[in-house]
Amino acid sequence: MSAPSLKIYCPCLDPNSLPPPPNLPSSSHSYHEIHDLYFCEECDLIRCNRCVSVEVSGYYCPNCLFEVPSASVRGEKNRCARNCFLCPSCKNTLIVVPSDPPESADGRIMTINTLGDPPFFLYCSHCRWDSAEVGITFEKPTSLANQLQKHEDSAPDSLEFERLKEHFEPFIRASSASSSASHHLRTAQHVHSNPITAAASDALSRDVPGVSKYNPLSRSRVGRDKSNRDEMPEYRSRMDVSLTGSDTANVQHLLMIESPDEIATLEQRWINSWTSSVLVNDLKPLRIPLHSKKSKRCPTCRHILIKPEQKPQSVRFKIKIAATGYLPLMAISLPFLNNNLATTAKRSTRPGATWEEDRNSPSINPVMFGGRTYPFVLSFTNPMYDPIQIRINALRSPVSTTTVQTDETGPAQPEKRRPPFAITLPTYAFSVAAFAEAWEYDEDDDMIEDEHADLVDDRRHASASTNSGPARGGKAKTVGVLEKKANTTFIGGEVVIGKEAQGDVKFLTMVTFTYRNDTVDEVDLGDEDGDGSPVRTTNPSSSVLGGANKQPEIRTFSYYVVVDLGRIAQRNVEGSIDERR
Amino acid sequence: MQQPIYYSRTEYIETDTGNKVSRKAIIAGPQNIILGGKTIISNGAIIRGDLRRTGSGHTVVISLGRYCLIGEGCIMRPPYKTYRGNFNYYPMKIGDHVHIGAGTVVEAATIGNNVEIGKNCVIGKFCIIKDCAKIEDNTILPPNTVVPALAVFRGSPGRFVQELSESTPERAEAMTKQYYNRFVPMQDR
Repeated sequence: MSAPSLKIYCPCLDPNSLPPPPNLPSSSHSYHEIHDLYFCEECDLIRCNRCVSVEVSGYYCPNCLFEVPSASVRGEKNRCARNCFLCPSCKNTLIVVPSDPPESADGRIMTINTLGDPPFFLYCSHCRWDSAEVGITFEKPTSLANQLQKHEDSAPDSLEFERLKEHFEPFIRASSASSSASHHLRTAQHVHSNPITAAASDALSRDVPGVSKYNPLSRSRVGRDKSNRDEMPEYRSRMDVSLTGSDTANVQHLLMIESPDEIATLEQRWINSWTSSVLVNDLKPLRIPLHSKKSKRCPTCRHILIKPEQKPQSVRFKIKIAATGYLPLMAISLPFLNNNLATTAKRSTRPGATWEEDRNSPSINPVMFGGRTYPFVLSFTNPMYDPIQIRINALRSPVSTTTVQTDETGPAQPEKRRPPFAITLPTYAFSVAAFAEAWEYDEDDDMIEDEHADLVDDRRHASASTNSGPARGGKAKTVGVLEKKANTTFIGGEVVIGKEAQGDVKFLTMVTFTYRNDTVDEVDLGDEDGDGSPVRTTNPSSSVLGGANKQPEIRTFSYYVVVDLGRIAQRNVEGSIDERR
Repeated sequence: MQQPIYYSRTEYIETDTGNKVSRKAIIAGPQNIILGGKTIISNGAIIRGDLRRTGSGHTVVISLGRYCLIGEGCIMRPPYKTYRGNFNYYPMKIGDHVHIGAGTVVEAATIGNNVEIGKNCVIGKFCIIKDCAKIEDNTILPPNTVVPALAVFRGSPGRFVQELSESTPERAEAMTKQYYNRFVPMQDR
């Protein structure tokens, strides 16, 4: 995991409790990067990919990029019906190649046909597998899937599937009438199970007509409805598995093999739904499975959060309500690393690394030493057109309600089970200017300066109330508002690491921001007072906020962020540390 | 607040449109190469603009969009094939906000916008990489591979591993712009 990093807590798993401890590996599923999150305006809550309900809004082939109408998806068994095939041996896409053209007498290659000469075959440009090896060739290089249709339809698995469908057809038809009648009732009740079952049942109900959407209520009802079930005749498979599964043929083959390469690996055979031969020579090219574009909804209010454009390769969205448009974009940097970097940069300039690289390169991967104090800088960028007030509150551990200041016992006190590190952050609220278009920045600067002057007062109060850490006295300011630039405010913080400390410096912070809601409409407000309030009470932060929500046009939102500053170095390297103070 | 990435002022040429091209990069056939502006070509990169279509006149061999980065030691070479018995090179088109990691060899036909390609990859001939895709480090894309939009490819041969989040376009744009702004000449001391 790259550090330093910031991750946001989505309360979808347990909205009534505090976030799980960030340093437990099991809690990683609750924390997400801001870019992966959505924001439901209606519920006023963060939504993550684990809690949104997902619906398929369109299918496309990942190779030829053609959109496949959902009507034909079923007929084509969820695979591309054009010329797209996967290599059975390495899963690469296959290309159609013609046979070698006949050479003329003078040795020059003559091409009569623009497309090449038949027979055509499929060829893998990665592992050099070709379909002629397994006896598949084509007369013409187009509509290959059609040409392979015969093979596919006579395969035992598709025959068995057809037989199954045939068998259930009367039952499906009979139940479809009753299910469609109760369908409206059920959607009204909206027994929400979970997004994955919902998506799966959606797909199933579309693909197999008559299968009603899954829901726990109807299932129990059907269970009681014994008469329906009893009408079902017993299903008999096309062939008895115990007979076909005889290994004598395989044993014969295995006796003949000369190298282990002749046996297909488990991975190569895994995708087959039917018992297949173990030999590489029997592997068949596969039509490429389709991909889908998905739209996403809020799980409680069903409002659409993501609605992609129809065109398969468009990266635009008709609706995209991402968290980045609602929450301030936070970034973290560690100035002591910058100093290191500047010195290394002087020795050798290594530009040209991608952003991934410089995050992972060892010079940047933070290493901190026990018994020292490190400053860090958090930046908040306001995406909204209104200025916001932010208050941050570091929680040492989610179970204890003690604030950071009380934990700052300093490294001198020998105390058992002392927290490995202590965080100092400004406790007062600070403002972040509104987002404006780039050309307006210069004009805004004066205004921001004025605001900044007001805040100096706040800071004096804050420093009086803050039990200042040992490193703070007499030093240049590291904690507090460092800088304001356009719609970004930089906040300094400090971490004091205990002498015996080890592990990751990860801590939970509650970020609360207040903003003015200019678009005050009656409906929205009614919602806020109505079903909005229970949501707020379930939100653990609301108790902390108190009455900040009273005024209708000022709104408050708070959420938890896990700050990962990096790893504390092992103690044996301590000898090389020069003291900071 | 991100730390700057320093380079030596003498090592890079900055053009009027903000392109920063290393003097240590090998640019063959510069008249056939288009840079969109604010694009960085790092040390040791090789760009083969000289491998052009046969025939007279001016042709564009490699075109790069804005805010691109060609990493150190990258090789950008237009794809070629023999079609109807004629050997020919075909142009390579790369969109905006494309980062290509160090040591990668690119022979793609088209690379869309906001694409991130890792280090030490091989992008085979006539590959098509759509918008906002990501190719992880050390991936080998065999010739003619198609990478759909918002997909992550990894491995050898490169295969689809996951989908990227919907906010990838904005994110990649911000990242590449930030990278360009961080890429500054070292202060003379």
